[in-house]
Formats: sequence, structure tokens, C-alpha cells
Amino acid sequence: MTSSIDAAAPSRRTRARRVKLPPAWAIAVSLLFALLCVVNLLPVIWGILTSLKSQEDLFRYPPTLLDFTPTLENYERVITSGFLGTLQVTILYACGTVLATLALALPAAYAFDRFEFPLRSTLLLLVVASIPLSLGAAALLIPNYIFFTRLGLTNAWFTLPLIYTANQLPMAIWIVKGTLETIPRELDEAALIDGSDHFGILWRIILPLSRPALGAAGVLAFVGSWNEFVVSSVMVDNPALRPVQPAIYNFIGYFGREWGPLTAAAMMGIVPILLIFILLGRQIVSGLTRGSVKG
Amino acid sequence: MQSRLTSMSYVLPAFAAMTLVLFAPVIYGFWFSLYRIQYGVQTGFIGLGNYARLLTDPSLGATFWRTVVFASATVALTTAIALCLAVWINGLGNRRGFIAQMIIILPWIISTVVATLLFRWVFLNDIGLAISLARTLGFSNVHPLNDPNGAMGWLIAVSVWKRIGYALIIILAGLKGIPEDYNEAARIDGASDWQIFSSITLPLLKTPLLLIVIVLTLSSVNTVETPLVLTGGGPGSATRILPMDVFDRAFLTYDLGSASSLAVMMFCGNVLLVLAYVRLARWKV
Repeated sequence: MTSSIDAAAPSRRTRARRVKLPPAWAIAVSLLFALLCVVNLLPVIWGILTSLKSQEDLFRYPPTLLDFTPTLENYERVITSGFLGTLQVTILYACGTVLATLALALPAAYAFDRFEFPLRSTLLLLVVASIPLSLGAAALLIPNYIFFTRLGLTNAWFTLPLIYTANQLPMAIWIVKGTLETIPRELDEAALIDGSDHFGILWRIILPLSRPALGAAGVLAFVGSWNEFVVSSVMVDNPALRPVQPAIYNFIGYFGREWGPLTAAAMMGIVPILLIFILLGRQIVSGLTRGSVKG
Repeated sequence: MQSRLTSMSYVLPAFAAMTLVLFAPVIYGFWFSLYRIQYGVQTGFIGLGNYARLLTDPSLGATFWRTVVFASATVALTTAIALCLAVWINGLGNRRGFIAQMIIILPWIISTVVATLLFRWVFLNDIGLAISLARTLGFSNVHPLNDPNGAMGWLIAVSVWKRIGYALIIILAGLKGIPEDYNEAARIDGASDWQIFSSITLPLLKTPLLLIVIVLTLSSVNTVETPLVLTGGGPGSATRILPMDVFDRAFLTYDLGSASSLAVMMFCGNVLLVLAYVRLARWKV
């Protein structure tokens, strides 16, 4: 089917003209890919199976693949230890971060793209320089911790969303600004002549047109805050405020070698991420491509 | 034109948040590192005393070189593997290429804590899948994380595994930006696949590749999670790299004086990489 479409549209780029690897390399790389498929998918699959095994099945040797009675006892143990509350808090943190990041990034990106103001290029440089630094630099963690402790900002409901928002902002501004550059200024000018102010332009023209960029930045902000571990493990120690990653890490000490509850917690912790990955995979790729950052 | 005040009011909220979380702590942290710290409180100005104490710490040099080995191996392997995979996927066609891409970025999208934990459980734990399998095949006594070099090797492997997806996507974006006419013209002139790759594709990928190298270096010299969950820095201190060292100094031994001065020095190292990043970030697909 695809081939007939290709034939009907000769201007479309066909596969044959792309750079190809020499045959020996192609075989080597496809083997590498096959290996990666195993190494990437096996931990998730084995994690699901482990989380459904009872204690006896878990310690059976050799490990059974499917020959066991699935049980939810591991999930029950994790849930009785308060894990649902942890997930709830994490969802609130992540959604709050996404909303705050986009609400602050859009006007900033608009001003950087459309306005002239003092220090504009210096501030923009600061934004770009903050992109790689803000996403998990261990060097920033200690000063941040000391400063927040001094100001008494640790261990509060707003501590983590505030830090995450500031961490996600540079990249969000950069991604959104990249899209705003492609929206013709004539639209703004026409709206100004029609009596709209800049806020009206931002709300009625720029916001709808920059939706793909906002989506890409939003998805990355959600995934970034959901997966964050180091900051949350030092900034809050109240269990009610602790998000999912440090909670799972603490389970390592708490459950020790009991991999059943440990994998059950891990599986519950990656469900939202896997859902986003399946539903919004394209946004993730486009966000990464536009932002060109975060290793 | 809009007034200066309106313009500033559009960027002010974002900069207020960034100042509070990113810029101000750096300055405060530097000032803090110039004091003698007891129980987390500044007790007297000692200038560069913390730095002097830190630099005479005999373990720091080894930690530094370990970090260099870890980061360069991680960056080189990740970039090389991602480059091969990207050229291969680029030749696959859109739908199959996209699926392959999604499988490869899976470990990147899962949190480092969970990904490392699951990797350890499946491949490295003595009652896990791989070791049990090895035992069935007759290899008893496999304890991959007990040997210092083995532990470092696995730390690098897990870090590469986690980061290939990111590198792949950036290289693929770079590949898509190369006009097809270039390859076609070269092919008409009789160039082989390898010649096209080495004299057209590779030079045109220079910017995305440099970008990847910088971002991956930054992320490798700042990763706390992977060593913490995989090895805890051990055996001994075989996998204790700088970010873990600074984390432990601050939150395990509560030596905030040496932690803050080490953090300031690491921050200065990061800034050099960031400056290189800024030069490349204007790259557009």
C-alpha cells in the first residue's frame, strides 16, 4: 500500500535515496538493535512478572517464567504502606509544574521573540545557559539545599513544584520561543490595528498557534518532574510530601531483598510514564528535538 | 511599541522563579563555602579554608579521575552506538523507524531510579534472571558487582543504556536535516555508501554530535542516581564518582563545608561546558 502511494507521489522521498549502512554494518547494527530490544523490554516485562509472584515463587530456582499463580499481595503490601498517597502527591506536583511552567514560559518566550527591552540578549543567554544546568546538576543541588534551608522553604507543599517549575522553565521558554519565531508578526500587527493589546494577542493568536510547542514542553516537564529523584530526596522529609522516586528508593532499604513489593512499587511508579509514552510519544520526540537537551 | 515596563512584566515572573531556585543559590552557596560550617551553621569566615581542606583530601584525586574515566567512556560509547543506530533507523522508513526509535528511548523515559533498579534485578542480582540463567549454564559464582572493575563497567553500561535514546533522537533530527539531493548527487558520481557516510553525513552531523557530547558529559558528571542505586559507590569506593561524593559529603556525613566548596568547584567546571553548549544551542533542525 505504501509503495503505491510512493509511486503516485514521485516528489516524496523514497527510502532508497537515504544514506544506508554498508551490508556488514547493517547486519551488525540490526543485531545491536535486537540486543537493545531485549535489554530495554526485559526489565519492564520481568518487573511486571516479579511483582505478581508470591514470596515462594520468587525464590524458586530456576526462576519461573509463567508457571506461577499470579497474586496481588505485593501490590497490597505497597498500598498499605501508603503508596497511593505518594502517587497522588506526585501527580499534583507534576501537574502543578506543567501548568506553572507553561504559564510562565509562554509570556517570557513571547517577550523574548517580539519585544525589545533592556538586557534582552543577556537574559536570553542566561535562559539558554540554564537549560543544561537546571536539569539535574549535582553541583546546583547543595547550594540550592543550603539556600532553601536558610530561607525556610524546604519541607513545604510548594517546595518541589517551585523548584521543578524553575528547572523546567529554561527549556520550555527555549522550545516555545523556537515556535513563536515561525508565527508571522503580521498577525500581531493586524490584531494591534484592530485594537487588541499584547495580552489579547498572546491569548487569542499566539496561544492557539503555539499549542504543539506547549504540548511538547508540557510533556517533557511532566516526565521530568515525575522522574525527579535527587532534589526531592533532600528537600522534603515529611512522608506525606514525598513523591514517588524517593519513595521507591526508600523501599530498597525498607523491603531489602524482597523484590516482590519492590517491583510492585516500581511498576506503579512507571504506569503514568508508560501511558504518556504510548499516547504522546511523538510529543516527547518533538520536545527533545526542539529542546535539544537533557541527557 | 510596547513600553519597557510591559516587556519586563512578561519575563519577570519566569525570572523571579529562576532567580530563587537557580541563580541566587549559586551566589549564596559560594559565600557560604567561605565560612567554617558547624552543624550546618556558619561559625566564622575562613576564606578559602574549606577549599584548602578539600584539596588536601587524599581521596579527591582518585574520585576525580574515576569521574573522568566514567564520563568519557559513557559519552564515547553512547555517541558511537546512537550514531550507528540513527543511520540504520533513518534508512528504515517512517513507521518502522518510529517504532524502533520508541523502543530505544524507553530506558530514557523511565526514571533513573526505577530503570537502574530493574536493570539490577534482571541482570545483576544473584537470584535475578540473568545470573540464574548463567548458573544453569554452569557459570557459578558470578557476582558482577563485587569486582571493582566489573562494577565500574556495569555502571558505565547502565549509564550508556539509559542515555542512548536521547542521543539517537538528536542525531536522527540532524540526519533528517540533510538534504537528500546531497546523497543522490554523490551516488550519481559513483560514491560508495561508506564514502557518502564519511564525507557527507558525518561532517554535516558535526553540530548535533558536539551538542550530544556536551549534554552527555554534563549529565554524566552530575548523575547521583545511577551509582547510588546500582552500586552505592562500591565495592570500596570503586564507583564513587564526583556527584555521588558531593551528595554523600552533604547528606551522609553532613560536612556542608567541604560539600559546598566541592559543589562550587564542580559548578565552575559545569559552566565551561555550558558555555560550549550555548554556542551550539542555536542549532536548529
